[in-house]
Amino acid sequence: MARPIRLLIVDDEKRFVETLSKRLSARGIYVEGAHSGMDAVALVQARPFDVALLDVRMPGMDGLATLREIRKYQPLLQVIMLSGTASINAAVEGMRLGAVEYLLKPASLDDVLPKIEEAARRKLLMEEQQGPGRPTGI
Amino acid sequence: MRIQRFLRRLFGPNRWVPLAARPDAKAALYLQYLAFKDLISSNDEILQVIADMEQVLDGTTTFGMAFIRSRCVTAASHTYRMIQTLNTLSDRRYSELFLRFADIRRSVENILDRARPKLKGPLVLPLGSLSLAQLDLVGGKSANLGEMKSRAGLPVPEGFAVTTDACLELLEANQLGDEIRARLLGLDANDMESASAVSQSIRSLILGAALPPRIGGSLREGFSALESILGRPLRVAVRSSAVGEDGDLSFAGQYVSVLNVTEDALASAYKEVIAGLYTPTAIRYRAIRGIPDEDTPMGVACLAMVEAVASGVACSVDPNHPEAGRMVINGSWGLGLATVEGSVSPDSWTVRKGDDLAFLSLTLGSKETSAEPMAHGGIDTVPVPPRLRKSYCLTGDQARELARLILEVERHYGVPQEVEWALGRDGRFMLLQARPLHLCALGGGQEPAPAQVDGHRLLIEGASACAGFASGPAVLSLSPEDVHDFPLGGVLVARHSHPRYVQVMDRAAAIVTDVGAPTGHMASLSREFGIPAVLDTHGATSTIATGDIVTVDGSRGAVYEGRVDSLLGAKNTAVPRRMAGTPVFGILEEVSRHVVALTLTDPKSAEFRASSCKSFHDIARFVHEKAFEEMFRLSDTVSYGQMRSLPLRARLPFTVHVIDLGGGLLPEAGAREIGIEDVTSVPLKALLAGMTDPALNWWTPRALSVKGFASVTAQALFTPVVEHGERSLGDRSYAIAADAYCNFSSRIGYHFAAVDAYCADSMGGNYISFRFKGGAADEARRVNRCLLIGRVLNRVDFQVECHRDLVNARLRKFGREPTLERLALLGRLIVATRQLDMRLHDTAAVDWFVDAFFKGNYMFDPDFDPASVHEEA
Repeated sequence: MARPIRLLIVDDEKRFVETLSKRLSARGIYVEGAHSGMDAVALVQARPFDVALLDVRMPGMDGLATLREIRKYQPLLQVIMLSGTASINAAVEGMRLGAVEYLLKPASLDDVLPKIEEAARRKLLMEEQQGPGRPTGI
Repeated sequence: MRIQRFLRRLFGPNRWVPLAARPDAKAALYLQYLAFKDLISSNDEILQVIADMEQVLDGTTTFGMAFIRSRCVTAASHTYRMIQTLNTLSDRRYSELFLRFADIRRSVENILDRARPKLKGPLVLPLGSLSLAQLDLVGGKSANLGEMKSRAGLPVPEGFAVTTDACLELLEANQLGDEIRARLLGLDANDMESASAVSQSIRSLILGAALPPRIGGSLREGFSALESILGRPLRVAVRSSAVGEDGDLSFAGQYVSVLNVTEDALASAYKEVIAGLYTPTAIRYRAIRGIPDEDTPMGVACLAMVEAVASGVACSVDPNHPEAGRMVINGSWGLGLATVEGSVSPDSWTVRKGDDLAFLSLTLGSKETSAEPMAHGGIDTVPVPPRLRKSYCLTGDQARELARLILEVERHYGVPQEVEWALGRDGRFMLLQARPLHLCALGGGQEPAPAQVDGHRLLIEGASACAGFASGPAVLSLSPEDVHDFPLGGVLVARHSHPRYVQVMDRAAAIVTDVGAPTGHMASLSREFGIPAVLDTHGATSTIATGDIVTVDGSRGAVYEGRVDSLLGAKNTAVPRRMAGTPVFGILEEVSRHVVALTLTDPKSAEFRASSCKSFHDIARFVHEKAFEEMFRLSDTVSYGQMRSLPLRARLPFTVHVIDLGGGLLPEAGAREIGIEDVTSVPLKALLAGMTDPALNWWTPRALSVKGFASVTAQALFTPVVEHGERSLGDRSYAIAADAYCNFSSRIGYHFAAVDAYCADSMGGNYISFRFKGGAADEARRVNRCLLIGRVLNRVDFQVECHRDLVNARLRKFGREPTLERLALLGRLIVATRQLDMRLHDTAAVDWFVDAFFKGNYMFDPDFDPASVHEEA
């Protein structure tokens, strides 16, 4: 049985998480939200995700520190940084730590959705060696 | 051994999960395939950034710093990812690229950082201590007022300047700098609604910020010092004084002034003026004029209020007739808001600039309303009593006295000036602002407008605000709020003139208003932008309807029905390069040398090495080339029999080498070369079937126009072109294949074509991605080839984007057979259009070529017989 893409959105702006979750859920994606880096790490420890959308500037544990942590638990998790900070430094550091994209806010659903699908496809190709179920919609 | 090292790199501490890893050859092939795909997708992102930047480098499109910053971030991050991936594939043999990347990145960051202001010193300075020398510290308005007061001895109200450092301190103390830059990323410089949304969000940030105690204390000290000089309870006018304001760029009416402010309200008025940096029209003005937001930190001028009986604006030279030796004074009752904003028709004096200061003409304005200070602070707009409406707001003697002051201002600065003035209850004039006067580029006509020109009826007349001729469809506007969708080339027909109409000044062909003065802010802006303008027509909005084609004669202040070609004459209709020469454009040009410029074009040259990379584009080009080499190298060293690199024997205009990632070729295929029959990769087989379609007949020479051949030959002097011969010796096209996947890539000199496709039985994952850039001919022909390719693919359901000579096309989620049909078509298209540059000099002919292709006329032969082949599906 096919399963939907499992997406984790990490952003301290609660309204942003809510809105994006609603719109992506409507496209058949299974979405969970976290409002801090710590929450995200706890969720990643609890269950598997395919893709994470991760904000950079967050109080407490910032996006780059969160990226470092969550990849310890799920190294195959595909991380897309989605930031309001046009910082070359943050973007390159994100890539160094294994993020697959550094997108800038505000990004439209049309910008983000193909990136999520592409990342999920990439995750699937990696997983094919283990043979788990295939996500739909990608 | 090599493959194990490769696996260790991929599964190292920061890499992929050990659970997934089965360190055998199949896993290695998969990982290599994934790494290669990553590299290709990052290369695509970088090419997109380059195309975006090249597009705006022509200077006709409005863009801001947010555009430059975001593109640099994308280019840098994906360039880094390409380097990372290549090093993963190559056992870190290209680590030098990290050093080159760091150098280029530093250069880019330095250029972007230069635009950011740095803190300098004091927060408040008395106006009398200032001159133009402090322009960077206190902004344009305060510096000019200080200059007039301290150096020219002209009457200027007492006051103090709040420095731009105070503004920076306010933003820094509340950590607003990054937040504002983040919100500005949401700005589409060409979209007025986007400016409104961004404006509201940034202004509420600033208005909600806490004023640091040092600034609050300085404001109170400044106020008290002023009160002690003037010896009475005090009200101040809190006015914007941005760096760059009132200089070569006027920023007329774009920022905020708060009048009649009490001490208690000073702090909030200060924040309101700072927040005024981000009014929608100020954002648009900066975008249109190419001013980085960081370059206009806001100073504030706090001036003792003048209880004005009358006020207005004077131009020391008639802006439309600079040669006529006369000045223009406009004024109305009360505070000067109504005159400068254009909401009333003011009284007007034209004064000869001789010893006698004779009045050449006087016009009595209607002056329906006036702005008056209220007892508890703030301003109210009240009707002017009928008796006062019918009298001039200045006596003849007063007008002459003012004229003398205006001449002194002009003499002091040495160039024509635009001056705001007020007449106090004590009968003394005060000068509230001075800035260089923008004069019309075209000289105006003196004679009255004829009732008809070439049979076109004169619709209406008014005051000329900016000379020049323009024609277009009229767009009626009741207020600056309703022009969000203003069309390019429209003629704005508005009830009042208003400086907020600046938001359409990169689109409007001309401006006509019912009410407004040629000395007002909007008139000043129209001259700054060179837009013909006719104001104060008393009835344009009731005479002209939206959609009417009109011709505006800004020189004679006339508007005609229809398009009057005799007036428009040889007027240049090319899209103006408004951005060229602006500071933001300069930054883009500088940055693009490190991002866009391509110097590594020939892989066979000795200079084609990591240490020669001078831009992100160079690195991407180098990495792309080396990635293929690495794929070949790895395939040569692997003896598992699952991965092979072999030349393809086929009738193709280029040599193709195929790397099999597993399942892409028959296991029993030849050891030295393969034929198409050996290919088992489903998508590659379809692509090759298209490329080798006998109807393409590419080996027969085609007709070339001499002009076309000359153009290509000239380009070839600079670009190594090898696509003309039947075989291109030395340059290989590559195909990387697995059972359901293929990546075909051909890159020679500046020319780049790539197909990335996946095709399996379930349609969910199927896709074709096609990218084409460059070619050998001049830009016009390259662009036309891309148009042709784009239109063909669009017709068969691809989503297509064409940016100059770059085509991006994607097809997703089609079933197996439709996907394969389109791959075959793509194969035919790549080969058929290979040499077409030379014949594509005419954009109008592109559709003919599209039709020809779909008729199976792959030779693009004008005498082709369509009955001879089947049509494309």
